[in-house]
Amino acid sequence: MLTLPHRPARITIATALSIAIAALIAAVLWAILAAATDAGGHSRVDIPHLLRMTAIQAGLTTILSLLVGMALAWALNRLRFVGRDLMVGLFAAAIVTPGMVVAFGLLSIWGRNGWINQFSQSLFGVSFDSPAYGLSGILLAHVILDGAFAARILLARLDAIPANRLKVGQSLALSAGRRFRLIDWPAMAGSLPGLGAIIFLLAFTSFPIVLLLGGGPANQTLEVAIFSAVRLDFDLAGAVRLALTQIGVCALVILLASAFSPVPAALGRSLPPTWRDGPGARALQWLVLIIATLGFALPLLSVLYDGIVGGFGRVLAQPAFWRATITSVGIGTASALLTLMLALALALGRSAAGHPLARTGLGIPAFAYLAVPAVVLSLGFFLLVRNFGVSTSLAAPFVVVGANSLLALPFAMATLGPPLDAIVRTRGKLIRSLGIGGWTQFARIEYPLLGRDIGLMLALSFCFSLGDLGVIALFGTQDFQTLPLMMYRALGSYRNNDAAAIAAILLIGTIAAFIFLPRLIERLAHAGRRQA
Amino acid sequence: MLVADKLSFAYPEQASYLFSLEASPGEITAISGASGSGKSTLLDLVAGFQRPRSGALTLDGTDLLPLPPERRPVSLLLQADNLFDHISAAENALLGLPRGTPKQEGSAAVKAALAEVGLAGFEDKSAATLSGGQKQRVALARTLLRDRAVLLLDEPFSALDDETRRTTRDLVGELTRRHGWHTILVSHHADDIAALANRHYRLVDGRLERV
Repeated sequence: MLTLPHRPARITIATALSIAIAALIAAVLWAILAAATDAGGHSRVDIPHLLRMTAIQAGLTTILSLLVGMALAWALNRLRFVGRDLMVGLFAAAIVTPGMVVAFGLLSIWGRNGWINQFSQSLFGVSFDSPAYGLSGILLAHVILDGAFAARILLARLDAIPANRLKVGQSLALSAGRRFRLIDWPAMAGSLPGLGAIIFLLAFTSFPIVLLLGGGPANQTLEVAIFSAVRLDFDLAGAVRLALTQIGVCALVILLASAFSPVPAALGRSLPPTWRDGPGARALQWLVLIIATLGFALPLLSVLYDGIVGGFGRVLAQPAFWRATITSVGIGTASALLTLMLALALALGRSAAGHPLARTGLGIPAFAYLAVPAVVLSLGFFLLVRNFGVSTSLAAPFVVVGANSLLALPFAMATLGPPLDAIVRTRGKLIRSLGIGGWTQFARIEYPLLGRDIGLMLALSFCFSLGDLGVIALFGTQDFQTLPLMMYRALGSYRNNDAAAIAAILLIGTIAAFIFLPRLIERLAHAGRRQA
Repeated sequence: MLVADKLSFAYPEQASYLFSLEASPGEITAISGASGSGKSTLLDLVAGFQRPRSGALTLDGTDLLPLPPERRPVSLLLQADNLFDHISAAENALLGLPRGTPKQEGSAAVKAALAEVGLAGFEDKSAATLSGGQKQRVALARTLLRDRAVLLLDEPFSALDDETRRTTRDLVGELTRRHGWHTILVSHHADDIAALANRHYRLVDGRLERV
């Protein structure tokens, strides 16, 4: 790691940013703790019940998502068909698909007036209770998103199996079962604990899905309870206790997860397989693929269909919609750019720092935001703004941009860090021997090599922000609302057609950004290299 | 006799190959050539991982080309990744026996094979803990149990230190003679070829030339 020349400027900037980010977390925690002290002990929140429900929901989500992810990755690794790349791309986009959109899609299919019930009533004259509400609905929505996310990550592990190992296995005539046990399972097993921890955290801090599909206090989770305590019950003491519990559990999971091997952020392309399993295994693979595709694609297709058929035109004619769109895109763009600046400065500083302790120190504050759920961070900022006597509506745009950026920071660091470290490892000596440094090093070497990763990072943070409901839920007003908040309000006032149209627009926006932004930035980076 | 007769192959938009060679039982046929000259492609064609455009591949007159890799009379020993690291040496060797082999019979055969390659007592060792040379020997034990007529070696000694390289090389030569294998060795190490080869071809411009 000492192959690069010393870059004091990079390390200084990264250190200053790290300290600032750590100070901000400290301030947020201080604001929450101070509010807890001031509020006294009166609160009606039942923390043990909420903790139990959240843990059960997140635990079941994790187990089911890993199982679905493994099965789907296995099928995708083996099968080749027209549209496979598109399907793999869609599964990769699951991480940025707004939870609200999936929840809405589930309701559209499995809800009381959903496609399945309408079909059943018109054909058999019977309808049944909707499984889209309550724990089953929450699990279904989480598994659709997190199972697809797990599948994409695990598929990358299967694609990375050395060709020699596959040749040996094929030459030994391993059956599909033995092949899975001897080759596939070891390739995936290393990623499961880290991936499981991420999925557990995503489910533990899930907000919009539980808010829309929870169906009442019985299935409420900590995150939704915090929102209810602040916005509906005005129980600040309860909200603060819940927030501290939430941070404590998330921090514990992250500490445990840090012992596991990291989950790859960059995803490679699958090569055509030369080793096909037997007919029985192939039939099972097709079955898994068909079920997973229906499970993942149907809710999203229903969102598009309902949106386009429902109230597309009417929503587009509303000035409030355009204001919300401009706000959403503006916040998304600003927070993505802020995330890029922060992540790039921190990651460049980390890769320039030779000592492992220094690297850890520069990374901890950014990764700590994994432990701070959106609603909790929003609550902390809400209290801070109030403490400083600043008007909430005045601070709202800055707070929402900042909070979204900080929440995306761990993912951005995980995307940019490994390729930057790889540049140091593989080209460090060359860079040093050529005497390249400073801006030239970044512009001529690092930026062109990082183009796609920077694009992916920008897309991730833009999409996270575009689909956010957790932060805006506390700061949003009638005049300051984003598309997810507008959709939530439309649902709350039974304007389902409007909600459908907004959900469709959100879906198209996130998928388009996730697919095209990395390509655009990669092209720009390479164009820059050609000119240079 | 293993005979490749005008086996032709081409990667898209790359150079084309035309391979002809003969390999006798109990002998080692060495293939040398520059990096990227097509040595591994030749082994892939013999093993069945690639399909030739035309030509013939026979073993004692039997056409091998219609057979998929798993049904060809071929064992492989590659530079790395020959073993499954999370299982024991014995379990790796056991994969060489047909499925359904009685457990006791299998254990005895594995024990004997490991002893033959100089790894008696290594049965329960995890493959991950073995040295590079020991891993190659376990793979050779598996080859013994598979008892296929053709052994393909793709730079199998490249990752070994000098001493281990020499002993593993000697073992391959001895097993080939004793079991009558048609062994094809791909290598760009002249000393390996000098020590082992009964027959030597060099790959030049996609063609094999007898040395």
